[in-house]
Amino acid sequence: MIWTLALAPMLLGLLLYAWPRSADAAAKWFGVAVAGCAFVVTLLSANAPDESVRWLQRPFTANFHAGLGGLSYWLVLLLTLTTACALASTRISRQRDFVAQMLVLMGAMTGLFVARDLLVFALFWDLMLIPVFLILVAWTPSKSSASAWRYLIYNLTGGLALLLATAAYGMLEGSTDVLGATLGRGATAIGPAWGEWIFAGFAFAFLVKTPVWPFHTWMPSAYADLPPAAAAVVSAVQSKGGLYGFLVVTAPLMPEQMRAALPLMFVLGLVGLVYGAVVALVQDDAKRVVAYSSLSHLGLILIAIFSGNPLALSGAVVYVLAHGLFSAGLFIVLGQVEQREETRSIARLGGLGARNPRLAGSLTIVALAALGLPGLCGFAGEILILTGLYQTGAVWVAGIALVPIIVAAAYMLRLFQGIMQGPEVEDLPERADASFLELLAIAPLVLAIVLLGVNPGPVLAARSLAPAQLSAVEVQR
Amino acid sequence: MPPYVGSGWAAVHHTHNLDPLLLAVWLLPLAGALALWAFGPQLRRGAGVLGTAVVFVCFALTLFDVRGAFGSPASGVGIGNAVPLVSWLPGFDFGLLWDPLALLWTLVITGVGGLIHLYSIGYMAGDKAQARFFAYLNFFVFAMLTLVLSDNFVGLLVGWGLVGLASYFLIGFWFYKPSAVAAARKAFVINVAGDVGLMFAIFVMFAATGSTTYADVFSHAGTLPQGVILTICIALFIACAAKSAQLPLHTWLPDAMEGPTPVSALIHAATMVTAGVYLIARCAPLWDASPDARALVGTIGALTALTGALLAIAQWDIKRILAYSTMSQIGYMIMGVGVGAYQAGILHFYAHAFFKALLFLGAGLVIHELGDEQDVRKMGGLRTRTPIAFIAMAIGTLAIIGFPGFSGFYSKDAVIYGVLERGYPALYAIAVITAGITGYYMFRMIFVTFYGRYRGDVPDAELGLAGRPPASAHGHHGAPRWLMEAPVIVLMVPSVIAGYVSIGGAGSLWMRYFKADFASQPLPAPPPPFSELASTLLVFAIVAAGVAVAYLRYGTAAAKEGAVARLRTEAARIPQPFVRAFYFDDLIDAVAVRPARALGNAFSRFVDPHVIDAGVTDVARIAGRLGRELRGIQTGLVRAYAFVVVGGAVVFIAYFALLRLPR
Repeated sequence: MIWTLALAPMLLGLLLYAWPRSADAAAKWFGVAVAGCAFVVTLLSANAPDESVRWLQRPFTANFHAGLGGLSYWLVLLLTLTTACALASTRISRQRDFVAQMLVLMGAMTGLFVARDLLVFALFWDLMLIPVFLILVAWTPSKSSASAWRYLIYNLTGGLALLLATAAYGMLEGSTDVLGATLGRGATAIGPAWGEWIFAGFAFAFLVKTPVWPFHTWMPSAYADLPPAAAAVVSAVQSKGGLYGFLVVTAPLMPEQMRAALPLMFVLGLVGLVYGAVVALVQDDAKRVVAYSSLSHLGLILIAIFSGNPLALSGAVVYVLAHGLFSAGLFIVLGQVEQREETRSIARLGGLGARNPRLAGSLTIVALAALGLPGLCGFAGEILILTGLYQTGAVWVAGIALVPIIVAAAYMLRLFQGIMQGPEVEDLPERADASFLELLAIAPLVLAIVLLGVNPGPVLAARSLAPAQLSAVEVQR
Repeated sequence: MPPYVGSGWAAVHHTHNLDPLLLAVWLLPLAGALALWAFGPQLRRGAGVLGTAVVFVCFALTLFDVRGAFGSPASGVGIGNAVPLVSWLPGFDFGLLWDPLALLWTLVITGVGGLIHLYSIGYMAGDKAQARFFAYLNFFVFAMLTLVLSDNFVGLLVGWGLVGLASYFLIGFWFYKPSAVAAARKAFVINVAGDVGLMFAIFVMFAATGSTTYADVFSHAGTLPQGVILTICIALFIACAAKSAQLPLHTWLPDAMEGPTPVSALIHAATMVTAGVYLIARCAPLWDASPDARALVGTIGALTALTGALLAIAQWDIKRILAYSTMSQIGYMIMGVGVGAYQAGILHFYAHAFFKALLFLGAGLVIHELGDEQDVRKMGGLRTRTPIAFIAMAIGTLAIIGFPGFSGFYSKDAVIYGVLERGYPALYAIAVITAGITGYYMFRMIFVTFYGRYRGDVPDAELGLAGRPPASAHGHHGAPRWLMEAPVIVLMVPSVIAGYVSIGGAGSLWMRYFKADFASQPLPAPPPPFSELASTLLVFAIVAAGVAVAYLRYGTAAAKEGAVARLRTEAARIPQPFVRAFYFDDLIDAVAVRPARALGNAFSRFVDPHVIDAGVTDVARIAGRLGRELRGIQTGLVRAYAFVVVGGAVVFIAYFALLRLPR
């Protein structure tokens, strides 16, 4: 069942190439239906047992081992939900091919999140780059495909490091099927000589993928050139691959190396936090504002994961999902804006709210979640993370991390007001307000943003792959 | 015995009852806001009626639930009723707290709020987006109730943030005006700076006490180290300063006058901006435990009172005069609750809510009558043209300057003397001087607006007004005048009598009401050099002097004759520091706004492309050229796909081949 969740979308995506080109619109709804079904099936499979198929025995054991417990469950839910919403809001040329690529992407990422074997994890890690690269090549609005290659070079280098690290791990440990049952066995057996190199390999891949400063320069151009629906899924879910990796791969397997890397990661995270925020403040391209804001938000999650504080880790899980929801929402709504006005320049746009109140309403809610409005999901993550950081004694980190929250208010309002408010701009094309279907595409995300903000309770325990119960004692101090 | 014990927080003291009335009071405005948001366009004029009805129903339900706020006598030391709602994690539990302090604020929010809703039906009658307006107003009431009803700091922060959002929506209600958009953004960002202060306070208290609920945190107040308490108090005060327009975070409040006048009355005078007063009163156990926090907050409150009053002198926009006066009066409240004169500070909030709402609504009548003219230089002689507005503003002015018999007399004197009693003579001096300035600027406004000859037809150039942007009328028609005048007339009554609850000293209704909330504490050893009566006479003399100066400058027959020429020369002669509002905007710009932008530009134009990316760009360019040639062969997905898959597979297999080699 779990493998079906990963393989069926990929297969259906490839089969979509046999779909008649004339029925482009239907292809889109087919895609929405597949993603929607995947969402429902996942939702109902909370307690699905692990599945395993034997793969390698030499030089080390590797199995196609899949599980849907703990964090995997929530990330697959996030993935299928955002894919469904993103596809529903798509309007693009060669729609059939696009939907096909998106389904392949969804399947590959599902594979990544359900994998319980490091080698399978690494396999899907590389696999999920391909559809994004192809989408970038085929649908890039710019003349050159530089952003596609930049994306691929960065992420393949990361993938290579991940693969080497995985192989080395397998050789030393004898098995890569270690993410599931054997989880939490405590002290690592990896010797100090190799442990650091293996950790460095994993960490490099994860840092590039997230991305963490200074490995972020592939991101703004990729997010800007990706079609909105793809940008939504990539920023909402694919970028979480790195943070997910830190949470479920390195944190349980290499706790010593995690502790050793803590100062470095705190610095990288903090620099990214501030850097992303101030750069977002001056971008003219609306999508680049969101891209740099991601750099800022994800830096905070990185810090939370490395702090090891239970409260901060719970907050990190909430914020991973929260960022997924609101960044998907932002890219989708900005896509709807771009579709109407044929520009993303904040300087060019303005005053759309007067004639597009529903579009303005959608953008308001997702932007508010992104700037951490208390009561919405972003805030729930932030307050838990920062309270936990302060609790561990990282007083200055918690203090400095507060500043970007103020900056976030400034750049998100600049984005919203620059597009929706002020006097109406004369020479912009005048289009109809958001349609019922466009609202429907964003509604599930908005609902999730509110629910997660009011009560993140069910998510808080999902800090690992084990379907763990959070004990009260553990959280208190 | 540490002081907090008497306040009742030391023991678990709330009854726990699911209180349906309270839940209804809290959630009805949210339901109203959602309904107005969803069905507003269909409701047309009914939107205002619905929005107003919701708030009045809340007011009525609150009255029915007064008893609940005092808890059941059997519950022991303290009073109040706690309603648990949601729990995230241990220490992050959310619920409502219904006690006398919450009750008082709720009564003002729904009572004054209801009247202002009613007024808005008339004021906004000509506006096409009135359903949106009432949705925002209802949402504000919900947010403000969340703030005052929460039983923990995180819930408080949610309310704190949501009122900031409502304020943002309503300041920028006319979002086609660039000035309104800028003002809304400024207000929001500064208020987020305040939210961040509150967040930091939460970190510290969670680390110290393991909880964020009032009961848990306050019960630790006596045992925490001084440094920790002071840190919490300072962090909390940053939030208060942003929300309640205290130095140096006050600069958004005058700009917030871009919002419709009922908004200024409700949010930026009567309720939201007093949230800081609420927070300090709520956190009395913390302030009681930290003398340094008291001195700091008292001082900033006093300086804010003085600064606001000084800046009000130099304003020409009737709403900006009132905005600076609000800042000044909140300074008084903060000073009062800051130094520990809680009952006095809260009484001033209570009285101010009525008389300042009255002043704003009166000003709204004038502005409405003159087609959105807000500059007092273009007014004059309106006594006969808008008599209700004149009476309203006269009563409001007498109340705010503390004329005997009017509400402000009781509350302001209590604050001023309370400061002296608690041993802060310097703050006392500032407070007395500020009272005199208040007398001056309020009567300046009254004389210039309502006396003399109407100057609306005098050309702008003659008044020294040339070059200002034209006033934008938001459209007035339809609504009967009484709709706006009725709430104004109703508000006149409490503006006069609200202070009477405090007559009778320690045995007064007011002191008995807060008996369980604020422990009576011993006052510092040296008693004040003079009695409260002497202080009252002194303040009255100073205020009278201020009023007399205003009369001599603007009220005499000669001054009224030559008003046009006088106003022109006066406008030109206002000293630059006053015109620039003591450079606070420039300061924030220089230390925060411009550095952030400069840094952002440097990073995105130099660091990203030329430092971090220096090598990668070349690689990407080469690869891009490769890609173009690839596409030149055949622009097709399949080719590229095959290329990547095969390439990837080759790499993948190669590594495994290598790994399978014997070690």
